[in-house]
Amino acid sequence: MSSIKKIVAKESSFFWAVPAVTWQVLFFYIPVALIFLISFFRAGLAGGFPTATLENYIYFLGPSFFLVILRSLLLGLVNGILCLLCAYPVAYCLAIKINRFKNLFLFFLILPFWTSLMVQVYSWFFVLEHNGLLNTILLKLGIIQQPLHLLNNTFAIYLVMVYCYLPFMIMPLYSALEKIDRRVFEAAADLGATQWQTFIRVTVPLSMAGIRTGFFLVFVPSFGELVVPILLGGGKQLFVGPLITQYFLSARNPALGAAFTCISCIMLLIAVGLLYLFFKKYMGTTTAKGKI
Amino acid sequence: MRSIKLENITKRFNGEVILENLNLTIPGGKIFALLGPSGSGKTTILRLIAGFEEVDEGKIILGDKDITHVPINERHINTVFQSYALFPHLNVYDNIAFSQRIRKVPEDVIQQKVAKIVKTVHLEKHLYKSIQQLSGGQQQRVALARAIINEPEVLLLDEPLAALDLKSRERILLELIDLQSSLNTTFVYVTHDQFEALTVADTMAIMNPDGQIEQIGTPKEIYEFPVSSFVAQFVGSTNIFKGILRITDDKQWLEVEGVGACELVIPKQKEWAKDGALALMSVRPEKIDISKTPLEGFSNAVQGVVASIVYHGRSTQYNVRLTNNQVIQVFEQNEEHFPKEIIDYDDRVYLYWQKENVVLLEK
Repeated sequence: MSSIKKIVAKESSFFWAVPAVTWQVLFFYIPVALIFLISFFRAGLAGGFPTATLENYIYFLGPSFFLVILRSLLLGLVNGILCLLCAYPVAYCLAIKINRFKNLFLFFLILPFWTSLMVQVYSWFFVLEHNGLLNTILLKLGIIQQPLHLLNNTFAIYLVMVYCYLPFMIMPLYSALEKIDRRVFEAAADLGATQWQTFIRVTVPLSMAGIRTGFFLVFVPSFGELVVPILLGGGKQLFVGPLITQYFLSARNPALGAAFTCISCIMLLIAVGLLYLFFKKYMGTTTAKGKI
Repeated sequence: MRSIKLENITKRFNGEVILENLNLTIPGGKIFALLGPSGSGKTTILRLIAGFEEVDEGKIILGDKDITHVPINERHINTVFQSYALFPHLNVYDNIAFSQRIRKVPEDVIQQKVAKIVKTVHLEKHLYKSIQQLSGGQQQRVALARAIINEPEVLLLDEPLAALDLKSRERILLELIDLQSSLNTTFVYVTHDQFEALTVADTMAIMNPDGQIEQIGTPKEIYEFPVSSFVAQFVGSTNIFKGILRITDDKQWLEVEGVGACELVIPKQKEWAKDGALALMSVRPEKIDISKTPLEGFSNAVQGVVASIVYHGRSTQYNVRLTNNQVIQVFEQNEEHFPKEIIDYDDRVYLYWQKENVVLLEK
């Protein structure tokens, strides 16, 4: 009895982790394994015992499906870059320039993201539609004569994607920038660096961990994004997320859906690997070493 | 090599006056130490010279050039920070080379310069280490190398040794003195540590907690001839006596209540020193001799009882209670070459000092 108590006490951190790990295994790792398994099933409508096949994968050989994956990768990449460009100034100001009311600003920044994603996305309709807010303002100001087509195109997708994913970029950037000892900025200025040189040579390298984290936090989910391309893209262009959903829900062909999911995941992993190498080589925190 | 002149400097932070109408000339090509207690504004002076802060009023002149409004990165002044503020993402080499890369100096020239500097500061073995791998003393040397590679006209050192142990401090202080004489740069050394200031400075200024400069002089002048009781007490230890000044044709003394007449010498420049004036006198603990038996040949002798004894290693401190209940400190060297009388708690002792070792101070 006492020995069990001892083990529990000694390994208490393990016991506390059990519920979370169980949850993770039950609802993530087992389903992922199942999808992998299903992707090798022959699609049989009549039921019966399924047979193993590579047909599902062969079905996706060809440029049209490859294009869908490429377009989704591009969506993730461009969204990551746009979010970085939009988030950096915000995070920089919050972390370095502003000294008072920091938490208040952070609160206001996060506030919109406590509303449901659907509400956020739908609210953009009122801004972008034919006689929506943006067109009305532009017409009233006389900048345009005819209402612009702002919905159901790539522009709308990217605009709303950036809007939705911005906080995932701001938060890691903010926490990375806030950790920097401000005296190194003074040291850089003291050694002759202008503000811009300080930014490029000190601030950016020291916030690289935040840039990397934020970029992957945006890039990976953007790749599989479902809601935004469907609602704001008008379904004109196919992306990975909506296509997989179609196979599972409307086409009722889980085997094909599973195979496409696997292909997409592999492509995503390759892309993440390449980006990781890119960050390591060109955006690393170590610099070239001179020899004496 | 050029001197720095601060003219009528006033600096406020959030409405609080830190420095008011301060005037200070820092001689060129020497080590100038700014010594003062925490909060005396000495670091503010340094930050004003470096350009991290703007003066509210007044001028800063380097040589014959007004640099009051020259931006930090265009002043030929470099700083060694108290916390070192090294770039954590760069290795030792890149830290030292930083200012040269900013100035777009060719890489081969940078290599030669870095090679020379690391030899001066003894960092050859650590050139490609990351900053986190270095000890405090090594980081301090990197900070120094990074600041002097630029050949600044003025090197500012903000409590540079505060984070180091005593042995490293002593060693680096001596190296700093050597470095200054080989570079011929003006060093401004800010510290609250009197030992560092006395060791390193050619000239030093003492600041009081109100942000005013009390005295400027060589370390010896400051220590031996303090102009105020603040300076006397802040630099080194001292015993202050309060009394009424008496001057006759052949003798001058301070009438200390409960102790008696203490003979002293009044320098000519102390014009305020008139017969009957209230005054202070300062006697350093190491200038006082202690004995259980009466001695001849001293101009001053008082009696007291040993209240406590503190052993310091190289010296022993006796705290002696005088007849007026004032406790004064006496330092005796622990030289054991000759058998000495043993002084213990509650012993009645005589204290002796020469009138030349007494400093008269204004009340």
